[in-house]
Amino acid sequence: MVPIRYNVRSLAVRKSTTVATAGGIALVVFVLASSLMLAAGVKKTLGTAGRPENAIVLRMGSDAELGSVVEESSVPLVLAAPGVARDGTGRPFGAGEVVVVAAMEKLGANGVTNVSIRGVPEDVMRFRPEARIVAGRPPRPGSDEVSVGARIRGRIRGLDLGETFDLKKNRPVAVVGVFDTGGSSYDSEVWVDREVLRQAYHREGMVSSVRVRLESPTKFDGFRAGVENDKRLGLQALRETTFYEKQSEGVAIFVGALGSVVSLFLAVGAMIGAMITMYAAVANRQREIGTLRALGFSRASVLASFLVEAVLLAVVGGAVGAAASTAMGFVRFSMVNFASWSEIVFSFDPTPQVIATALVFAVGMGLLGGIFPAVRAARTSPLRAIRA
Amino acid sequence: MTLTSLAVRNLARNKFRVALTIAGVAMTIVVFLLLRTVIWAWASGAEWAAKDRVVTRHKVTFVMALPKRYVEIVRQSPHVKQATWANWFGAKDPKHEQEFFGALAVDPATYFSVYDEMKVPDDQMQTFVHDRQGAIVGDVLARKLGWKVGDRVTLQSGIYPGDWQFRVDGVYTATAKSVDRSTFVFQWDFLNESLPPARRDMVGWIVSRVDDPARVADIGATLDRRFDDAETPTLSQDERSFNASFMAMFSAVLKAMNVISAVILGIMTLILGNTIAMGVRERTGEYGVLRAIGFLPGHVALWIVGESLVLGVIGGLAGVALAWPFINLGVGRFVEENLGAIFPYFRLEGGNIALALALAALLGGAAAGIPAWRASKLRVVDAVRRVA
Repeated sequence: MVPIRYNVRSLAVRKSTTVATAGGIALVVFVLASSLMLAAGVKKTLGTAGRPENAIVLRMGSDAELGSVVEESSVPLVLAAPGVARDGTGRPFGAGEVVVVAAMEKLGANGVTNVSIRGVPEDVMRFRPEARIVAGRPPRPGSDEVSVGARIRGRIRGLDLGETFDLKKNRPVAVVGVFDTGGSSYDSEVWVDREVLRQAYHREGMVSSVRVRLESPTKFDGFRAGVENDKRLGLQALRETTFYEKQSEGVAIFVGALGSVVSLFLAVGAMIGAMITMYAAVANRQREIGTLRALGFSRASVLASFLVEAVLLAVVGGAVGAAASTAMGFVRFSMVNFASWSEIVFSFDPTPQVIATALVFAVGMGLLGGIFPAVRAARTSPLRAIRA
Repeated sequence: MTLTSLAVRNLARNKFRVALTIAGVAMTIVVFLLLRTVIWAWASGAEWAAKDRVVTRHKVTFVMALPKRYVEIVRQSPHVKQATWANWFGAKDPKHEQEFFGALAVDPATYFSVYDEMKVPDDQMQTFVHDRQGAIVGDVLARKLGWKVGDRVTLQSGIYPGDWQFRVDGVYTATAKSVDRSTFVFQWDFLNESLPPARRDMVGWIVSRVDDPARVADIGATLDRRFDDAETPTLSQDERSFNASFMAMFSAVLKAMNVISAVILGIMTLILGNTIAMGVRERTGEYGVLRAIGFLPGHVALWIVGESLVLGVIGGLAGVALAWPFINLGVGRFVEENLGAIFPYFRLEGGNIALALALAALLGGAAAGIPAWRASKLRVVDAVRRVA
């Protein structure tokens, strides 16, 4: 086996070529890792909003709460379905909620965006224990006070502690609290008293969805049968986790697909770059290779040595690219979610899996780019090489 | 032999390396063009928009509708030539759960004259106007779901309960690139009569054509002033601003794509620069000889930059040759069929091709900067003596 130090020194002596090749690989890995991180962030944001023991009921045919209309009269029937958990007093754990969007002015960027406004019952926190008030205080039930999600706060005009905005014409509401659910899509919403919102948006007698807590996740099938068998209701029941997976599908596929296509083509480009470098290395070091062979190193050792050099080059580039991409963890990416047509703030989520994938990808680029030059090196005839 | 042809002939010395470099550059150009096409297709929605159309909708939110009497008021306003209206229906074909398409309830008498870039054959139009349950569908949608004129289709809506029966009376084709060819339109009266009295006589939005496209913003503002004191205030935008504000919701995505485009160009420059630097290093001795027989440092630099520039252009051309079938026959066709609502026209465009070629040449020249500068600064004695 040829010592790895030989490869390290060979790379060090041709600085500019090494930097150019590793730099190309670093940029590719950066793009790949960033898009994977964003896709992971999207999944996290939309995925953590759901709990396995919760179910959501929508109008049959709706994918999102926004386009769903459920008659108020159906709500007690849903809450009475089998499997719904009850508290000590026998009251079912669940409620109908109203979701609308409003056009609001984006701060720092010219333009208007859609913000999700959720009309919630007074005991919204009882149903979502992960939500905490992190600034201000909880709004008084039935009042014109509202709370805003931690991520949307300060990004939209009027959506910060102590500010007010118009729910509709001449219907101002005051932001008195900021809630945080740990990065889920709720953090990009405004929570308003359900009756206040219904009145302002003429949604009397209807809700967008009914959410219930089940006695256990295994009770879902029974609950679903109870809700969906009554064809007159025309409703469908989904596990909350399934519902949010569907919600994130659009964005996650879009980001993932575009990221993969771009990374794939770029990877081929950078791999070719590595190939050019390694072919040149083999051509320039004919004499060295001949000497190595004459010293008794086998063809396999020479092959391995050049492969190691290519992988080394790629790993250096990959490590730099991956390290740079973790800086994206501080970036907040705000865009409209296709399913809810409202602004959701995503983060880049540098999971260990993403970093590992990026590094494996870099190693793969090194191997593929290095294999043909290494084969050529191994085929070098020692005699002719030394004489060259 | 001219100086230029010498530069070009130098390229032929290591054909294999040059071929690899061209392949590498071509790959990066393909991705670059793909992203440019996405950005361009996105942005051009605003440019293709009709200059003389104004969209009037609810001021605060698109989930609320306008009273139908607003249509008459708009029609009688100054500068308005004609007006029509539509409601979002949110349809889904239960047989094709995954297919997303826009379904609108429209006024059959006026919709296709306001949107005159949607062409319906006269006989089909006649049937549609007199058929309460009639529908006109886009040609792309009809092909995708296998619908033919005369077919009966059953749709469901997340907003309006029940099964909705329609008859396909006609298929529209597009005479402008901005038209989504996957929309399903049907009679507004059919929808309205099926609703409970409390929800009747509301329209989603009003579209009007004006006689003076130059003053379209003023005309919109006049309309809004008319409704300012009413219970439901409006927001009127010309189609161009409307599309632009829609795009602004995705501005973060466009920004990200611009960043990636820049990264791609960086990778391309590194690949080119690496190849040129290698060639220069191998030929240092020759440059020494050329200098010794009287060529100036400028000549040497010119050869190197010229060689790189030509390499960039050839790589760019190869990239365009690959991107053409990839985008126009592959990705573009898929996107137009499946994401027609956002990208009705997704093709490689002349301006982007020119941009890619210009950048390939420019960055090719720039990539040679450091090697050229170094080679021209070299003292003749050192150059001649130097071993590659």
